[in-house]
This record gives sequence, structure tokens and C-alpha cells, in this order.
Amino acid sequence: MILQALKDYYDRKIRDPESEIAPKGFEHKEIPFVIVIDAQGQLVQIEDTRYKVGSQSRAKAFLVPQSVKRTAGIKANLLWDNAKYLLGLSVETNEQVVKCHQAFINRIIEFNINDDEAICAILNFLKNDPIEKIKLVENFSEIEETNPFMAIRLSGDLDLVCQKKMIIDKIIQAPSDKDLGICLITGDIAPIANLHPSIKGVKDAKSTGGNIISFNQKSFLSFAKEQGSNAPIGDSATFAYTTALNHLLRKDSNQKIQIGDATTVFWSQKKSAFENEFSSLFEESPNKDDPDRFTENVKSFLNGVDSGVLPESDKENSFYILGLSPNQARISIRFWHVGTIEECSLKIAQHFHDMEIIFSSNQKPYYSIWRYLIAIAAQGKSDNIPPNIAGNWMRCILAGLPYPEALFQAVLRRITAEQDVTQQRAAIIKAYLNRRARFQHQTQQKEITVSLDPSNHNIGYCLGRIFSVLEKIQEEANPGINATIRDKYYSAVSGTPAHVMPILMRLKNHHINKLASPGRKIYFEKLLGQIMENLHEFPKQLNLPDQGRFAIGYYHQRQAFFTKKENVTEGE
Amino acid sequence: MPTNYCLEVNGDFACFTRPEMKVERVSYDVITPSSARSIFEAIFWKPSIRWQITQIDVLKPIHWTSARRNELSNVVSSSSVTSAMKNNKGSLGIYIEEDRQQRAGLYLRDVSYRLYADLIFDQTKDVSAEYGKYTAMFERRALKGQCFNQPYLGCREFSCDFKLVLDNGNQKKPINETRSLGWMLYDLDYQNVSSPNPRFFNAEMKNGVILIPDWNSEEVRG
Repeated sequence: MILQALKDYYDRKIRDPESEIAPKGFEHKEIPFVIVIDAQGQLVQIEDTRYKVGSQSRAKAFLVPQSVKRTAGIKANLLWDNAKYLLGLSVETNEQVVKCHQAFINRIIEFNINDDEAICAILNFLKNDPIEKIKLVENFSEIEETNPFMAIRLSGDLDLVCQKKMIIDKIIQAPSDKDLGICLITGDIAPIANLHPSIKGVKDAKSTGGNIISFNQKSFLSFAKEQGSNAPIGDSATFAYTTALNHLLRKDSNQKIQIGDATTVFWSQKKSAFENEFSSLFEESPNKDDPDRFTENVKSFLNGVDSGVLPESDKENSFYILGLSPNQARISIRFWHVGTIEECSLKIAQHFHDMEIIFSSNQKPYYSIWRYLIAIAAQGKSDNIPPNIAGNWMRCILAGLPYPEALFQAVLRRITAEQDVTQQRAAIIKAYLNRRARFQHQTQQKEITVSLDPSNHNIGYCLGRIFSVLEKIQEEANPGINATIRDKYYSAVSGTPAHVMPILMRLKNHHINKLASPGRKIYFEKLLGQIMENLHEFPKQLNLPDQGRFAIGYYHQRQAFFTKKENVTEGE
Repeated sequence: MPTNYCLEVNGDFACFTRPEMKVERVSYDVITPSSARSIFEAIFWKPSIRWQITQIDVLKPIHWTSARRNELSNVVSSSSVTSAMKNNKGSLGIYIEEDRQQRAGLYLRDVSYRLYADLIFDQTKDVSAEYGKYTAMFERRALKGQCFNQPYLGCREFSCDFKLVLDNGNQKKPINETRSLGWMLYDLDYQNVSSPNPRFFNAEMKNGVILIPDWNSEEVRG
């Protein structure tokens, strides 16, 4: 279904005159240098098409005949290629370079339109020592060193030679010499593709691209079949799915986001606004000037979904989400999700509602997936995000399933390692526990609320609250203290409360005596008493879900102190 | 006159690998006819019978999971087998440490199907026998839970349990989902033994039910 959906997307795009998807036999390629020659084959100039985007240098993209797959051996592209092939220009001159250049010329001759004026001019230019002619150009040394892609244009023309109508027609009509077979995308009898074009733009994949469909090891073959015949796919369907996928993965694509190690693309069956909106719900904009943009996007999205004002057409329109990640020279499917836009919107809205948790004024209500992921990574670095979690999490969000167990465990591990319950971590725990309970229809388990819930008598939750109170007492007793009991005891108390709680209670007695105001003393003792009312004993151990509730209880109580404080000052 | 049997199969995981994504495995959405056939064959098969899958009911919603695992990248070469046989010695072992490939997979999880199949008897291959002998053998074996090898869902490691369904009335309903599943592997055509050819059919799921065309019908192409 993945390939069919991609092919459908290509068919949709090619019908749309505004889209810039390449027609059959062509692809878009960034070409930094264009050689301009006259009708006699004399060099006019070399055009530099590069421009700056921020600090990056980009080149203008041209529609050129589809590149050949060069794994080993010498194969030339038609009428465009790198300097080594096109000019026979390379830092080191050897036999191979000469062969490459000859292959380039042969490819043009084999194309068999030698009577064309432009082709004659090109052949003239190429056969008569082209390097000698361009030696005087100012970019010569750069071209020699970087071996950039180049193409040829006739002076006075607007298009490249390879974009001339006659050549396009000839490429489209080129007969196929491949064996016929059934195409498993369309079901038609068609010439079967042997090798499939590479997919580029997947993060951390090889720069030359990777393949979704390839059979490059002995054990991948069925019945000793070779390459494409292991999975018969027609030539045109192959072109369509790879072009569509490369189009979605292209550099400026707004239908691509990075979620952990999974490069994710998405598209809808019919044109929709959601297609453009989707990325803004999962990725923060790189524009640093507008830090609240993400929150605003999510808020307006949630407003739309909650009030049920989705466009009518979105109810039936299918939405596809495909997560890809590299594995050796191959590209593996991390997740694949199909649903209507309406379903997807509801699932995503559910995710954001589940992640809601009380926060202080310098924080934000919603964060991108990436922000949550680095909250569970060591040192808060993207590189340390545990593998596999991101993809699984995304799959669970879109399918409306409970969040992955591994995500929850990673949060707890990070909290005990750093002894710190941050907003993001608390949000993940809350969402994880609530979704799991909902999925398993655990009605006896109380749903965790956004902010402090005094009626929650869960043992873990109460202990978390107590711990937070004890810490607060200590802080007020020793203002400006560097390390509190949290730094020393958090992991011990959340894992084995019975061992540590008595010590902490004794410490509390010392701390509370230091408090200057008798009112505060009474307030704290009363609060502790209230929480402990439903507590019969300190348990020896807490299981993982209760450790999660401990973290939430701690976080809620701590947030409550800060919000309460304002109320108190108002009252005074 | 073939008899139609129904088996209910359940498993924790399944992978009905798509041919185009068999390297980094991606499963089909539902069980393929060839995999369903092999479940029947795992319970009972003789040279004179053939199982023709007629219908698949999908009983649980389609859920996915992904995993990576290490696999071997090579196969034992036939020439080294020949030479080993000729010389009466030689090593055919392959060491996983030297030849490893990490492969990712997108598998199905928590699946349940009802599979319907015709037991087709070829009298020419067993002239003296009656059809009833084979139906009785199958029924007896399936009711007892006997099988030649443990039935599995696409991959050997995803074994499944099975139950012969005799009463079709009071059964669990298929999922309420209707959609096209695209061109799906039907089975392999083993007529050309040296290079068996895959055959495909266009699978449509209607309210959780997939009707499987006959092997010889026009809808099965290859």
C-alpha cells in the first residue's frame, strides 16, 4: 500500500500544473554551473547559478534527464553530468577520466539525433579539447577541485539543451528493452524495472541516497532470482513512486519532519490544508524570533478540532504518514500510518490534551515531540535520544494507542539519574499512565489530573506530595541552600520509601524547628497530616507505575506551592 | 465436491512479508492466501490433496510494531556443497559474526483470523481412496490439535494456535473496516521448478472479509 499511495500521489501531482514534480524520465537536479556555447561549439561563458540561503550555498535546480545509477563502472548521464564526465576534467588525470568523458560523448551519440543543431554544437565542443577552452574561466580551479554537476545551454536559448522539446519527446517515447511481467503496484503487464532509483533526503543515510527496494545480499534473494525480478514492479510505477518520495523528501519540502531518528513524510490523497499544517504540529519552526509560534499553532489546531470545525472534505480524505530511517545502504520503513484527516486530527488532539500539565509562567503549554525526547536524553542532547522510541511513540500517537513502555521507563531512568522532575517529564508520565489506564479500561485507577489533585489517594502520588512538602520545609528553613533532600534522596525515596521516609521525617523535625513563623509551622504540619491521612504505612517498594505517580505527585505539589504563594501574598 | 473448512488462528505477532519490502521487512496488512494455505498444510497434507483458500475474516484491528534483529547475509553456495560431496569433506558452516546484517521489520501484532479453505482431492493420485477418507483425517487431526509442524503466521518465529470452527453461527464478528489492500501475493506458481513465479491478486476487504478468487480464475495474475 505504501508504494501504491506514493504512485497515486505522483499521479495527483503530475495532473496539477502548479506542482513541480518531474515528468517521466526526468528529475530535478541542482546544477551549479552551466556551460554556454554558440552554434559552432565555441565557448561563450560559464554561468554560475549558485545563490546564498542563509549561510548555505545552493544552486538553481533544473529539470534534467533522470540520472543513471552509478554503483560501479562507468555510466554517463544524458547531456548533463559532473565535470569529470562532461569535460574529462579532474584533479588527477588518468585513463579512467578519459573513459568517463568518452562515455559521456557516446551516450549522446547513442541517443541518435546527430542531425540536431544543438547536439552538433555540443559534440563539436566536447570533441575539441573542451578543457583547453575553459581554462581561462575564473571558476576553473574550483570546478576542477569540486567536480560539480554541469549542463550545457546554447547561447541565446533559455532552456538547457537537455530541456529542448525534441529531446524530451524522445526520452518519453524511448522504447523499453526490459522483460515484461506483472507489476505489483498496478497489476498490469509492464516492463519490469531491474534497479530502482535511489531515495535521497533521509537523515543519516548515505549522501548518494538509499533504496527501499533493493536486493544486495545473497540471503535477500528468493529462488535465486536477480534484483528486480524478486519483486516485479513496472518501469513507470517505479519511476512514479521514487519520484514522489524524492519530491516529498526534497530539501525545501514542507511535508517532511524529523522525529527522532525517523525522517517522516506525509501527504493526503486529495489536496488539503492539513498537508501543510501537519508539520507545524510536530516541529518547531527554525525561526528563533518567534518562540511562541509552535504553541500558537497547536492552540489554534486544538481549537479547531475541539469545536468540530474541520472542512467537510477532510472527513473522507485519506492521510498517509511514512517514517523512514536508514539501515546500511537501505532505507527501512519505521512506521506507516493511513487514516482519514479527521481521524488523524482527533488522535493528534488527544495527544496534546493528554500531555497537558500545570506549568510555571516561564514555560509553555505545548512542546514539540523533539523537546520531549531531549528531556529523556542524557545531557539533553539529540544524539542521546534512545533509538527506536521516537518512531514507536509517533506510531502510538497516530494510532491512538498507549505510549510505548520504553518511553515511560526512559523518563523514570532520566529522573532518577538527574533527580529532577521537569515539566516535560511529568507530562510524559501523566500521558502515559492515563492512556494506558484508558486503553485497559481500568476504571478503578484514578485519572491523573492536570494540576494538584488532593483527592488522589494513590500511595505513590501521596508519597510524591509528601516528599515535595519535606523539600519545601527544608528550603524555607535554610534559604538559599544549594543541595536539598531531593538531590540526595529522590531515587531512594521513589524506589524504596520505607527505607528513607523515616530518616526524612526526622530531618523534617529539625528543619521545621528552624522556621521563624509559627504560622508556617502549623501550615506545613497540617498539610502533611492531610496527605498522610490515607496512608497506613510506608511501602517497602514502589512499582514502576507508582514511581511514575510519585513523580507526578511531587511535581504537582511543587507547582502548587508556587501558584499558592501568589494567592497568599494577595491575601496578606 | 470439495468440503469447506474453517480454522480460527490467533497469534501475538505476524509478518506476511511483501515481496518488494522483504529486505527491510514490511508485512501485508492481513494474512496472504499462501500463508493461510500453509497453515492448513501444516495440519494436514498429502500428495493427492490441495487446499484452496476461499475466504479470510479479519477478527482483530490491524496493529503494527517494529523491531530490528540480526540476520545472516549469505547463503551456503551450491558449488561448495557439490565440492564437499565430491571430496567427502569440507566445511559448509557460516559464522554469523562474520556475515551479519541488521534488518528492520514492521510486523503485525495481536492478530486473529478465520480462514476458510476447500479441501480438493485429486483422485488420479490416489486411485483406490475415497474423498471421505481425507476429510475424516483432517477433521480428526484438526479437532485434536495435531499438526505436522507448528503452524505459523508468515515467519516461523511467529507461531500461532488454531481451532477448527464447526459451528459458524455463534462466532466473533469480523472488524468493521472496508478498504482496498492493493495487489497482494496470492501464491507461487511452482510449474517451472527452477524459477517459481509469484502470482498476485487485487485484495479487497469488505467489512473485515476478504474473498479469495480461485487459483485458476482471471483475477489471479502472474
